[in-house]
Amino acid sequence: MRSVDVAKSAFGNTLRSKLRTFLTVIAIVIGGFTLTVTSGLSAGINQTVDDMLAGYGEEDQLFVMHASAMGMGEETGPGPQEYDPEVAQQSSEFGQAMLSEEDIETIADLDNVTNVEPIFFVSPDFLETSGGDQYTLETLDVPADGPAMELVAGDVPAREAMEITIPETWLTIYDADAEDYEDVDPQIALGETVEIGISNLVYEQETVEAEIVGVSAQNLAGIGGSPMPSYALNDELYEIQISGLDVEQPDAFIQAVADVDDLEANEQDIKDALADEGMVGLTLEDLLGIIQGVIDAIAWVLYGFALIALLAASFGIVNTLLMSVQERTREIGLMKALGMSSGKIFGLFSMEAVVIGLLGSVIGLAAGLAVGFTANALLTGGDGPLGGVGGLTLFALDPAALGLIAAVILVIAFAAGTLPAARAAKKDPIEALRHE
Amino acid sequence: MSTAVLETENLVKVYGRGPAQFHALKGLTFEIHRGESVAIVGKSGSGKSTLMHLLALLDQPTSGVVALGGRPVSRLKPKAVSSLRNDTFGFVFQQFFLNPNQTVLDNVTLPLKIAGVGKSERNQRGIAALEQLEMADKAKNKATDLSGGQKQRACIARALINNPDVIFADEPTGNLDSATSETVEDILFTLHQEQGITLVVVTHDEDLAAKCQRRLMMQDGLIVEEQTGATPRPAQASAVSDRQQPENQTRRGRRLPFRRGGAK
Repeated sequence: MRSVDVAKSAFGNTLRSKLRTFLTVIAIVIGGFTLTVTSGLSAGINQTVDDMLAGYGEEDQLFVMHASAMGMGEETGPGPQEYDPEVAQQSSEFGQAMLSEEDIETIADLDNVTNVEPIFFVSPDFLETSGGDQYTLETLDVPADGPAMELVAGDVPAREAMEITIPETWLTIYDADAEDYEDVDPQIALGETVEIGISNLVYEQETVEAEIVGVSAQNLAGIGGSPMPSYALNDELYEIQISGLDVEQPDAFIQAVADVDDLEANEQDIKDALADEGMVGLTLEDLLGIIQGVIDAIAWVLYGFALIALLAASFGIVNTLLMSVQERTREIGLMKALGMSSGKIFGLFSMEAVVIGLLGSVIGLAAGLAVGFTANALLTGGDGPLGGVGGLTLFALDPAALGLIAAVILVIAFAAGTLPAARAAKKDPIEALRHE
Repeated sequence: MSTAVLETENLVKVYGRGPAQFHALKGLTFEIHRGESVAIVGKSGSGKSTLMHLLALLDQPTSGVVALGGRPVSRLKPKAVSSLRNDTFGFVFQQFFLNPNQTVLDNVTLPLKIAGVGKSERNQRGIAALEQLEMADKAKNKATDLSGGQKQRACIARALINNPDVIFADEPTGNLDSATSETVEDILFTLHQEQGITLVVVTHDEDLAAKCQRRLMMQDGLIVEEQTGATPRPAQASAVSDRQQPENQTRRGRRLPFRRGGAK
């Protein structure tokens, strides 16, 4: 029997009992569908992260934090801790360990570190437009996040200039008629002057003038969701924020950004040096890698469930084909009597399993892609719940993964088919022809 | 005498073991010659089906030899035996064994499909075989749509399609009424005579057996009697063949004598 005839016969045979084949295929479709959606989700998120990294470009920066802030400090145990006034002063309002001026100097003294920018959070009160309208402004993005920012217009604020970006959701300020910020051309905000109001420690408000140079979209890491000042503007605001009291208080920073020469080559050395000082250095890649790690972990859990579904489906194939072999005993006997070898009988029935697997994988993959892309369009589209997250792709096509999924399904189907196929191949033609 | 197409030597078949042992065949030695028609006759349990299975290479003897065309087949590999069956034998079964889901043409060309013949040649030869049996108009019908006689004619077309040396017919008329039986018998014997195909018929039907040139009467695993010479029914005896055994053979005057429409 020719291979093409084996394939055709197998295909024809699976369509003989349509309902039974259909039900068996459904089980595989569920597995294939889950695998496809999972791989697409994982590919989409990873693509988003890669895009963000690509946007970050050549910037050789390392984000430095106190080791205990990352859960990497010394194990102190659950019991009471001895009081250390220096450390106590360096905790933020949330009890998080902070970097001191001393730490910043230590970082700056490390080899290959060209510049260190401590990051501090300023809490302004309002943003006033040139027209005099005031808007609540509670949080600002930190300037160090600039390189990772997704911009829909303009540029990141220059380091020394008094400049600021605004998120695209704020564009309605400059077009009162627009119902939705998406209808506003982001270019109109560029070049506008705003005043930022901030209170000092004794609640005296002061304002600082800044120019809007960019419009941002919020990305997966949340960057771009608030206005982001330049370093100079941020410093100015910070100075105002801590002024007013005639008391010297030690500076403490949640984190610092270190510029590093040739980060790729020196990354490990600097990280090791920081670790010796009780600090942790993370590249943007590391930070986003945490997100990636979470997504990957979820993906693997889903892959696991999908594989369990496929395992269950494979028993469906075994069951279906065993029934089929039983029903077609006389046909098998006839084919053997007419000179079909046991090997070809085996081939015919295992091919039927593969056909079932093929149907399941084609339908499952197609359904997975359709649902994945539709959900992506609905969720991350302009009106979708995640529409405001810039540069987010929830679902992406990964041909290699799809090929692998199809191959895995076919291999599982074939493996499931071997038992019934072997049983068919072993049948004695005389016995089989006598079978009622 | 022409050469033997099938020979057996001391053929023994035992089923089971120990006290439950059953000797189905107790040492048979005989020959079937090329172009001969042989009936293996016996009651059920006489071993006639077992003998046919051994001759048709569907089963292996417990001991003894089956030789096809002078070559013992006992030591051939299963795959070689399979292809030998496909090449040299045609089978006609009492229960037809037609695949109900397939067309008549697909059923008839199954041996060619197994042999690995391409689709166009398969269909061409299938139509030719069906034409020979007046069944060409049913080629596209499902096998279930046929009457009993038509089914058996489809089976005969299937048995013929690979131009076999030997056709094994296992109770070919067992499921047919007498008029239809006669038509099917006529078809088989005409093929036998005109194409020189060796015909091995297993039956307990005396009338069918009587049309064969030789009859091996079986009882309890042994050939108890061997009769030669066809004993034609008076109505059909019209001429005498000049072939292998001229003394008693019937010969039909027409090339395709089964045009009577009896097979319904």
